[in-house]
Amino acid sequence: MPVSEPMLSARDIHRHFEGMHAVDGVSIEIMPGRITGLIGPNGAGKSTFMAVLAGTLPASSGTIIFQGEDITRLAAYQRARRGMVRTFQLPSEFAQLTVLENLLVAAPDNRGESLLGALLGRRYWMPDETRLVAEARSLLKRFGLLPKESDYAGALSGGQKRLVEIMRALMLRPRLLLLDEPMSGVHPSIVDEIAGYLEQLRDDGLTILMVEHELHIVDRLCDPVIVMAQGKVIGQGSMAALRRQPEVVEAYLVG
Amino acid sequence: MNTYYLANLLIFAGVDIVACLALNLQFGVSGVVNFSFIVFQAAGAYAAAVLSMPPDTAPDYSFQIYVGGYQLPFPLPWVGGAVVGALLALPIGLVVLRRLRADYQAIALLVTSIIANTVINNARPLLNGAAGLAAVPQPLGSVVSDPNSYQYLYIGLTAICVAIVWFIAARIVNSPYGRTLRAMRENELAAGALGKNSTALKMSIFVVGGAIAGLSGAILVGFLQVWAPSTWLYPETIILFAAVIVGGRGNNVGAIVGALLVPVGFEEVTRLLQRMNIGPPNLIPALEWVCIGLLILGFLWFRPRGVVPEQRRVFPGAPAVEEETRWVVGKGAR
Repeated sequence: MPVSEPMLSARDIHRHFEGMHAVDGVSIEIMPGRITGLIGPNGAGKSTFMAVLAGTLPASSGTIIFQGEDITRLAAYQRARRGMVRTFQLPSEFAQLTVLENLLVAAPDNRGESLLGALLGRRYWMPDETRLVAEARSLLKRFGLLPKESDYAGALSGGQKRLVEIMRALMLRPRLLLLDEPMSGVHPSIVDEIAGYLEQLRDDGLTILMVEHELHIVDRLCDPVIVMAQGKVIGQGSMAALRRQPEVVEAYLVG
Repeated sequence: MNTYYLANLLIFAGVDIVACLALNLQFGVSGVVNFSFIVFQAAGAYAAAVLSMPPDTAPDYSFQIYVGGYQLPFPLPWVGGAVVGALLALPIGLVVLRRLRADYQAIALLVTSIIANTVINNARPLLNGAAGLAAVPQPLGSVVSDPNSYQYLYIGLTAICVAIVWFIAARIVNSPYGRTLRAMRENELAAGALGKNSTALKMSIFVVGGAIAGLSGAILVGFLQVWAPSTWLYPETIILFAAVIVGGRGNNVGAIVGALLVPVGFEEVTRLLQRMNIGPPNLIPALEWVCIGLLILGFLWFRPRGVVPEQRRVFPGAPAVEEETRWVVGKGAR
């Protein structure tokens, strides 16, 4: 795909809840190989917009094009299978699965994952399982969680849970990662560590869209940045450019 | 102890184990709160009955009316019971499991159970209504006529079914498919975001559980030789839930332990107490329900993971875990 083509474009997205316009005509384009930031005051509609992009919530109207395909009508799981994977604002680890199992679940190509495959038995799916365990362990090693592989994910710290969610998403070999406040609930000392991992992923060619409140993280990672307020996009560009726009500053301060 | 009582106990234990393994797959492993479980057992029982009985026009059977009456030889009625349980899971699952949130699914399934019982109770031409079916032929009854040997035969047939169901349940629970079901149980939204089709997953385990429940009903009806709406009221499902919760949700061994402790053990104890004529006639059965409720609450409060909790899966080559129980994939417990 040529660099000038957007990875994802959302056109005139609306999402209403009982007369409230949580997302009110948002159009954006996500360019590949970048970390795009999505910021704005509480209640701006950022998380709702993310959920609409990921298919967790259907759009009331609008069109979403991902890698040239109209995915507006697809369910969340179908979008994930096409390479668009989201994480959640609240920790969403599979608590009573181990860390390694959390990663293995996400793998899309295990023969033992169908009912028939399961009934055919271990010999049928063990080659896939062995390959995926190795793949998951190399991710765990890279993110420094290998010693924790047999711990229940529910017993991890907030930051470690975030890492598990990101690794889990990576097991799907995504093209686009949608991160909803990846630093929330994370101990400040680990925030920089996670930011470092995200930079590495970007340098490996992964495209990321992230909602984030911590502005120093947005400063460090995100270019461009999209600002939302009251369900609309009120500005986009680099952080430096946005700081010079009075309506952006006002919305953030007032909101 | 006389052998008749023992045989009874073993067969009921087998039926309850089969049922609890099925409910564990649905509720314990997948988080599908199937409050209509007993309907699937009932469907299997009715199916096995009408598949093995002669038509209701036959001389000894004309006192009741029912559909079917195909006089099929064993094991076809049992297979039929499982098939009907699976087929019934399709329409119920497609209506209930698709759009509703998990807690509403539970309510919808409870209501389904009550509706199904009321319909069968009142629609007499279907399955003889409230009076139920009687004189259901014994499987292989014509082959072994001596009642004593027949008991052993029936215990053997039940044991074979338990073994088959155990085999299926173990393969499911220990597979990547079972892992995905557990992930869905833990967080359905997150599983969807990872490309898991939760409707399809729930439907698949609903059908498998329905088939096994149907088989359990077929085993039961072949032994009891009678089957009526009063034997499958919705509280029967609650007893099985109590068993899975007490035994250990998500663990097949736990489901078996739960089956032996609650429906078998607990109900036998109350039956014995009833014989001792303590208090007013309905005191003991009523107290039994109080105890079932307390049992569920007590375990959820003090030991939510049950007597035999779900095992932690440790993969070969993993760093050491400080835990007394370990599970090595591919090797089993050690």
